Amino acid sequence: MAAVLANPIARRLLRIPPSYFVFLVLLATLWIARPNMLNLNIMGIFVRQIVPLGILVLGQLVVMRVKSIDLSGGGIILLINYFISSGTFPGASMPFFVVLALATGLVIGLFNGFMIGSRRVSAVIVTLAVSIILVGLVQFLSSGNPPGDVPKLFNDLYNTKFLSVPTPVLFWVLLTASVWLLLSRTVFGRYVASVGENAEAAHFSGVPVQRTVILAHTLAGLIAAIAALVQTGSIAVGSVRVGLDLPILAVAATILGGVVFGRGDGGVWGPFFGALCFALLFVVMTVLGIDEPGKLIAQGVIILGAAIFYGVRVRNP
Amino acid sequence: MVRSLFNILSGRNTRQGLWGLPLLVALFISLWLTVETTQFATAENLFNLVAQAMPLIIAAIGQLVVVLIGGLDLSVGSVISFTTAVLALDQPAVVLIPAVFVLAALIGLINGLAITRFNVHPIIATLSTQYIVLGITRILRPVSGGTVPEIVIDAVSGSFLGVPYPVFWGIVVILAAWKLLYGSRYGLHLFAIGGGIASGAESAARNFGVSDRRNIILAYVVCSCFAAVAGVFLAGRIVSGDPNVGLLFELDTVTAVALGGTQLSGSIGSLHGTVIGALVMALLANGMNLANVSPFVQTAIKGGILLAVVGLQSRKKMGL
Repeated sequence: MAAVLANPIARRLLRIPPSYFVFLVLLATLWIARPNMLNLNIMGIFVRQIVPLGILVLGQLVVMRVKSIDLSGGGIILLINYFISSGTFPGASMPFFVVLALATGLVIGLFNGFMIGSRRVSAVIVTLAVSIILVGLVQFLSSGNPPGDVPKLFNDLYNTKFLSVPTPVLFWVLLTASVWLLLSRTVFGRYVASVGENAEAAHFSGVPVQRTVILAHTLAGLIAAIAALVQTGSIAVGSVRVGLDLPILAVAATILGGVVFGRGDGGVWGPFFGALCFALLFVVMTVLGIDEPGKLIAQGVIILGAAIFYGVRVRNP
Repeated sequence: MVRSLFNILSGRNTRQGLWGLPLLVALFISLWLTVETTQFATAENLFNLVAQAMPLIIAAIGQLVVVLIGGLDLSVGSVISFTTAVLALDQPAVVLIPAVFVLAALIGLINGLAITRFNVHPIIATLSTQYIVLGITRILRPVSGGTVPEIVIDAVSGSFLGVPYPVFWGIVVILAAWKLLYGSRYGLHLFAIGGGIASGAESAARNFGVSDRRNIILAYVVCSCFAAVAGVFLAGRIVSGDPNVGLLFELDTVTAVALGGTQLSGSIGSLHGTVIGALVMALLANGMNLANVSPFVQTAIKGGILLAVVGLQSRKKMGL
């Protein structure tokens, strides 16, 4: 196997994020199984459903590039959904909710960043603990029952289209492009790349490692809040279960997109296609009649497969 | 004397980690519950407490083995659910019980191989097996049901000379783990490998002739097998297979291990600390149940404890 991996063509192929291959394979599968589903309208609906995940992936990829992880997205989404749907703030307008959501995400992200960057606590433990605290709190406040309705404007906005492309999808692409600019064109982006590559070397070169990690987590919290707003718009009601599996899917999509702890070969568009893969995967699984347990297994296999793909490559540079 | 007492309470200069403090916390909670409630300090409630704490104690010992080499096993909860589901498959016990351990060892083997041979981060590897095993469990048993073999139920619910069987389970498991960690060459190797990983010199143990790969794989196999024992115990208690019984168990085990003074970066930790940590968790759950605290708040409180104890540990590495 080592000989195959040493081959220059194989090495060139291994540089391409797995998400592109998986995307093509899934597209081909769908084309063979249900060719009539491949039109812009139907695909638009499927891709629109995946937008909250796609946005969450953007935050995940930033923290994963600084060798960290954020699993608190589920808790943030649930909390913001609760704020909007529970009627805790009667008669509040949409801008108020947007500001409230962003502030919530910012505070939780900052807390994560402080614990991970300053206190040096394991990121998995911090973000998982934050998530279960938030989930427990929301379930307690709503006593296990789904809260009320979401202001109608959220869903109306979610359902709009611009030049026959659903607005949420357009928003997602724009957001992805801005994160791409942030990582490739700004000083912060360079810091992120250097911290991920080698935190110690970055420290001795004068990179503010701790501040970069804290900032990355704050950004992830903020992006999770945006994902929460889109998710709330998409389901249009309050829920005590919404978005709980999103963080782990976001990790899967990010790894699939070629961004593994500290290594950012996939850039921003690799994970973007990683999220698209999950949109197609759910369609293909529904078409083939595979239900919930099968989806769990597929998620696990995809994460493990993508991680092994990268592990093998790192071992044979 | 004073100095060694100080060392135990502060966790300084010790390879066993900070375990004196959680012991004090456990004693304090017990004392408080004895004073506050009449139901706590009865033999019945105490035996009940042991039975409630036992799955966590067993699974946390497994988690400890992995944490000592600087790893983390997030598939523990799924393995527990999976074990109960397999045990409720309506086959004779002679087939089911060995099958459970073979399957658990296989899951551990997959974790270990992915981590050592394919360079996958432990968290990612065990997270994906968590999902795969959960999926298989839900296929075997979408909702709780079925009955586990008679012998498993008897092994958990009987009593001998007035002492219920769960107490004996605890004694056997703790003795076995003691032998494994402190009475065998393997245990010494675990501490050695963990020490290398914790101080950033991953090949340190290998340079002294300790095979790190094989021992790390074995650690994940041992962890899964302990989880399977916990699963068998739980299956005997709930009498049926339940795909959700192990939910969030991996976090409870990590909390118990960390609460017992074990450093998640590896090598520093102790068996007695872990058992005390698991007991504190059980005491808290018992106390909160007696005080009628909502289960949702209990989950949140557990998360808060996890955050607090891990936040108090100092380590060099940043990130994961």
